[in-house]
Amino acid sequence: MPHEPIDPVGIEWSRVSEKYLKVRVISALIGHVVFVLILSVPLVMRLLGVWIWPAEWIAWALPIVGLIWTIIDVLFIIPRQVRAIGYAERQEDLLIRSGIMFRKLMVVPYGRMQYVDVEAGPVDRAFGLCKVKMHTASPSANPEIPGIPEAEGARLREQLSARGEAKLAGL
Amino acid sequence: MSIESQEQYESPWHRVHPISPFVRGWVVVVGAIYIYSQNILSSALEGNLKGNVFELPSEVLWPIMGIAFGIIALLLVGFYLSWRFTQYQITDDHVRTRSGILFRQHRQARIDRVQAIDIVQPLLARIFGLAELKFEVADSGQSAMNLSYLKYSDAQTLRNTILARAAGLRATAPHPSGTDDAQETQAASSSSSNGVETAEAPEIVVATTPPGRLIGSSILNPTLLVVALAFLIPVVIGGVLLETPATYVGLLPGLLSVGAIVWNELNKGFGFTASASPDGLRLKYGLTETSHQTIPPGRIQAVRVHAPLFWRPFGWYRVIANVAGYGEASGEQRSMLLRVGKLEDVYAVLPIVLPDPGTDRPLDLLTDGLKDSTDQTGFTQTPRSAAWLSPLAFKRQGYASTSTSIVIRGGRLSRHLTYVPHERTQGVLMHQGPIARRAGVADVELASTSGQILPRVKQMSVAEARSLFLMQADRAATARRLHDRNHWLVAEQNAQISPAPPSPQSSQEQPHE
Repeated sequence: MPHEPIDPVGIEWSRVSEKYLKVRVISALIGHVVFVLILSVPLVMRLLGVWIWPAEWIAWALPIVGLIWTIIDVLFIIPRQVRAIGYAERQEDLLIRSGIMFRKLMVVPYGRMQYVDVEAGPVDRAFGLCKVKMHTASPSANPEIPGIPEAEGARLREQLSARGEAKLAGL
Repeated sequence: MSIESQEQYESPWHRVHPISPFVRGWVVVVGAIYIYSQNILSSALEGNLKGNVFELPSEVLWPIMGIAFGIIALLLVGFYLSWRFTQYQITDDHVRTRSGILFRQHRQARIDRVQAIDIVQPLLARIFGLAELKFEVADSGQSAMNLSYLKYSDAQTLRNTILARAAGLRATAPHPSGTDDAQETQAASSSSSNGVETAEAPEIVVATTPPGRLIGSSILNPTLLVVALAFLIPVVIGGVLLETPATYVGLLPGLLSVGAIVWNELNKGFGFTASASPDGLRLKYGLTETSHQTIPPGRIQAVRVHAPLFWRPFGWYRVIANVAGYGEASGEQRSMLLRVGKLEDVYAVLPIVLPDPGTDRPLDLLTDGLKDSTDQTGFTQTPRSAAWLSPLAFKRQGYASTSTSIVIRGGRLSRHLTYVPHERTQGVLMHQGPIARRAGVADVELASTSGQILPRVKQMSVAEARSLFLMQADRAATARRLHDRNHWLVAEQNAQISPAPPSPQSSQEQPHE
């Protein structure tokens, strides 16, 4: 796992599942296909002769730009984003990092967790993955770890709840 | 632990004041009377008293009268039932309410999770000498519980009782049918907390807002000035340049909205008084609707001293706080610990909510934090190399750490200084965007409950940010172990036993240990 300058030193990061990349790519592709289809509307209309106002090159350029963006997103951005997600369980708290352009690093003490959710969408389920979501009393410290195998998710949930219970303090 | 469950079944259920459904539903009644009387009046004005219902032939009149009385009777029955079905109960550990005629609602809250208590008196309730009791509970985002309406003196007594119990003083009310172990606890607790039940905690007024300062501060409000300018400039320019005095009429809506803003501020802030009491900080304010707030000292999640730009020439400050349960929307009024005050008032209010400053020189820290950019008390600041990111504020952006809290300062035009107690830290976040990366800086945010304050140390050098991040995580963990301030008056060893009482069902079955 690449070490980013803002990371604290000496922390062993756990990575999310390899399969999570596929989940992200599939979800992203669905969105991108819809987007490219919308961008192709002027081209189709022009080819059918319904519209004549967009210059032909604009009509072609729109879906092509959409396609290029899709390729960049799927081939470069998403893999890097997925690689950037990491979590580490420490003695007193849970560390989570994410983001490449906008990096975010979060630490949430176990004693502050109010409850823990495990969620799985249809694509997640197809790959046997889930998302663990933790809730604290603060709206900005609600960390989530996406794309972890279901067994690991169940273990984390148990672990976090148990540790949270043991260390639970008042607000 | 079986004592608690018995408590729960033995504590009597109380009802709110019988007149309260009317106080809540008076709009309907008054509305009906208004519509009726206006109909009569308008027909009378037209000289057409034949329109009066009583002039109708009796075979039409009687059904109409019947329906009218039926509706009134229904309303009364509804009022009676809703009063009848609304009950509340206070036990050692819980507050419970039951309400609703068809859809029954039960709600309960753990007293040791009560974050703050307000007594609110809307105008009509005040006329009848009634008050609403609102308490904020932070159990998983549940909304406030409220009891409306009680006699004002009862509301006060109840507030004192709940606060005393929330503070961990277990004042058991005398139970006529107490079993053996219930009496045991009574005997055990009465020695330590005799008379807590009803004793009104003494108050010492520490800060008030004179009307002149309140008016001044209301007028020097950025929103107000923007609204005023937005209306004044075009109208005046139009009136002067085009010499059409008629455009001055356009001032009217502007004046009205400005008036509304000022009135709102004055109405809410009238008679603002902050006092110290053993329960915590007491706030009292309001003209048509008076509120009495009590914020226990252990419930403050973050405090900010704020000097808005337009107030600075007058040396006025505002102190706001994050209290769990107050939330963002409704909390704006309620989160003001000091509406507008001088520096002395800030000095007076802060120690009540932050009893332990954790430094030898709390006043120096405060003044340093509020002054332009002096640095004698060890603020770690934005590095000079990142000055271009915030050319005005970089000299002020920084944090200092005391043994009990972290102090964040920032803002050049509108200055602010924020205190976050270590044990209130819900989490720590570090952010770095692409521009910040180029400058070699990062932001550190201390997660706090939702409220007016977002504690964020801006643009620290990466090394500083990283050490703050880890240090804060450790400090928060340590501070939490040392203080369980759920019961903020109980000694630590007792407090460690208190969390997570067993559920009533399970504990009832087992015989007492």
